[in-house]
Amino acid sequence: MKRRLALGLALVLLVVAALVAGRAGAATQRQAGSLVGTGATFPFPLISKWIPEMAKAYGIDITYSPTGSGAGIAAITARTVDFGASDAPLSPDQLAACKGCVVIPWGLAGVSLPYNIPGLDGRLKLNAATITGIFDGSITKWNHPAIRRLNRGLDLPDLTITAVHRSDGSGTTYAFTDYLSAVSPTWKSKVGRNTAVSWPGGVGARGSSGVTGVVKSTAGAITYVDVAYAITNKLSFALVQNRRGGFAAPGLRGITSALSTLPKKVTRLSQLKIVDPPKAAPKNAYPISTFTYVIAPTSSSKAADLRKFVHWAVSQGQTFGPPLFFVPLPTTVKGFAYREIKKIKG
Amino acid sequence: MTSTGYTPAAPDLRRRGIRLGDVLFRGVSLAAALAAAALLGLITWKVIDLAWPAMDAFGLSFVWTEAWDPVKDLYGGLAFIYGTVMTSLIALVLATPLSIAIALFLTEIAPRRLAAPIATMVELLAAIPSVVLGLWGILVFGPWVRDHLEPWLQGAFGFLPIFSGQPSQVGLLPAALVLTIMIIPITSAICRELFVRVPKDLVDGSMALGSTRWEAIRKVLLPYAAPGIAAAILLGLGRAFGEAIAVTQVIGNGNVIPSSWFEPADTLGSRIAAQYQGATSVLQAGSILYLAAILMVISLVTNVVAQLVVARFEKVRRAY
Repeated sequence: MKRRLALGLALVLLVVAALVAGRAGAATQRQAGSLVGTGATFPFPLISKWIPEMAKAYGIDITYSPTGSGAGIAAITARTVDFGASDAPLSPDQLAACKGCVVIPWGLAGVSLPYNIPGLDGRLKLNAATITGIFDGSITKWNHPAIRRLNRGLDLPDLTITAVHRSDGSGTTYAFTDYLSAVSPTWKSKVGRNTAVSWPGGVGARGSSGVTGVVKSTAGAITYVDVAYAITNKLSFALVQNRRGGFAAPGLRGITSALSTLPKKVTRLSQLKIVDPPKAAPKNAYPISTFTYVIAPTSSSKAADLRKFVHWAVSQGQTFGPPLFFVPLPTTVKGFAYREIKKIKG
Repeated sequence: MTSTGYTPAAPDLRRRGIRLGDVLFRGVSLAAALAAAALLGLITWKVIDLAWPAMDAFGLSFVWTEAWDPVKDLYGGLAFIYGTVMTSLIALVLATPLSIAIALFLTEIAPRRLAAPIATMVELLAAIPSVVLGLWGILVFGPWVRDHLEPWLQGAFGFLPIFSGQPSQVGLLPAALVLTIMIIPITSAICRELFVRVPKDLVDGSMALGSTRWEAIRKVLLPYAAPGIAAAILLGLGRAFGEAIAVTQVIGNGNVIPSSWFEPADTLGSRIAAQYQGATSVLQAGSILYLAAILMVISLVTNVVAQLVVARFEKVRRAY
């Protein structure tokens, strides 16, 4: 009986302790000098580098949970966090629902197309038409004439193509379908672009690790993942033809080149188009890249800290990008970001 | 209680202590029981609350609509209901005889020195986190199914449309097989427990009357344990219905009902796990919660059916 009593008391204590801890946790969240954010997983490696730097430089504690772009948009719309992050810019409806939010680009990276063709003696080259054909299911074999024409000298096998896509909502999918919609009117009207779409063919797998897992173990598979992931996992990825006719690699230089045709002064988010850059862009311009965005409320009790954080991220923070295969934002984009940051007010 | 001057103080305190403990214990357990019930209620309410945008927009036709297009904001659950029921049924059909066989081997046939370690290992199979099992499905099991099992099935039963098309490491069949592996430990452990509890006299008696071991198992042991076996199967079915992570890794996440078992499909749980976090519109998030509500209804029905089946078997057994 005594033991039972002790057990009961222990349980009560445990509940009380949990409640107190919860209160304490909630209290620190409201403390000055701390920011809580959630959203896209894609910029998480970069944000993880920024967090200790922000603590050192400004004494601002940042907590970021990579829950996915959609969750980030939902959280900032409900104002349960101080900032959200998304790989897709907000749609007009979402922007209206967010009631006074600014969307600021704070990261830039390329999307690569890793493939698994056993015994291929060279680098695969693809263009807009063949990539669309592979992912809409109209090109089913690697030795299809359209692919062979681009890869003279390569011995392409009579192998079935398995197009692998992300089954979870992802910014990489947004960037890739944004590209396909830009190069193919049919894709745009039939499938469209989003963080998840209704794929006309192929198989789905979960996360970057899932799609690369399937590609690695399936001869004839091809997928899309961000460049950092493809490089750290030593995957071979395709060169993609741009409008100029050059076959570009998704390196830092290729992505920066794709940005060279942006207007000198960007005033609207919709001007920040980087997929399928125009013919005027250099020969090495890689056509499939994406910005990743922070979403901040224009009216926030932590406006000063938020401005400091985002400003730092867009300026000094960019130097942490290249080792992680994020491309530093070009000056035109930075200028746009600085003007948007000013809209965050207390 | 009459208090006299002779009553020593100490025992009195002790008795009060006991009462306090009783009251406290009763309170705590009552609170726990109520909390569990309230939690179920709250979760149900929240699921319906969050699913409401989709329930309002699509109504009941969501259940028999085959669509999932986040760009056009058009959703329906039929493909996922089909995927859930199909993968679970395949898993069940494969796992049931295997589980019973494992349990029979462990209780009736294997020498005790062998039975104990094997039983532990089968149960350890249940301890593998489903995400690890899914990963194994992607990297090892899926490719094996694609390279060996599916070509063999196609060669032997290729005239059936379910075994047509290109063998693939992700699809309905690999997912169903991973589910089979996941439910075998559960059903076989319950079956083993059931067989151990069958009165030894019954089996011994039947063998004393001249039946063989197989006859004793078939005519005495299995009928005696039948209601329990049925419950075990339905418990496994419940597990298969609800499994999300391992399935989402190997099923290929198709949006339509596949004609072949080699093609990508998707289940309710898998779709919820894959897309809830990335849902970009209210309607998409609502539709995913709508799938969750459907899954809850399916699980509830399975549970009720399980209880009815057990009750019915029980009646039949009593009648003997």
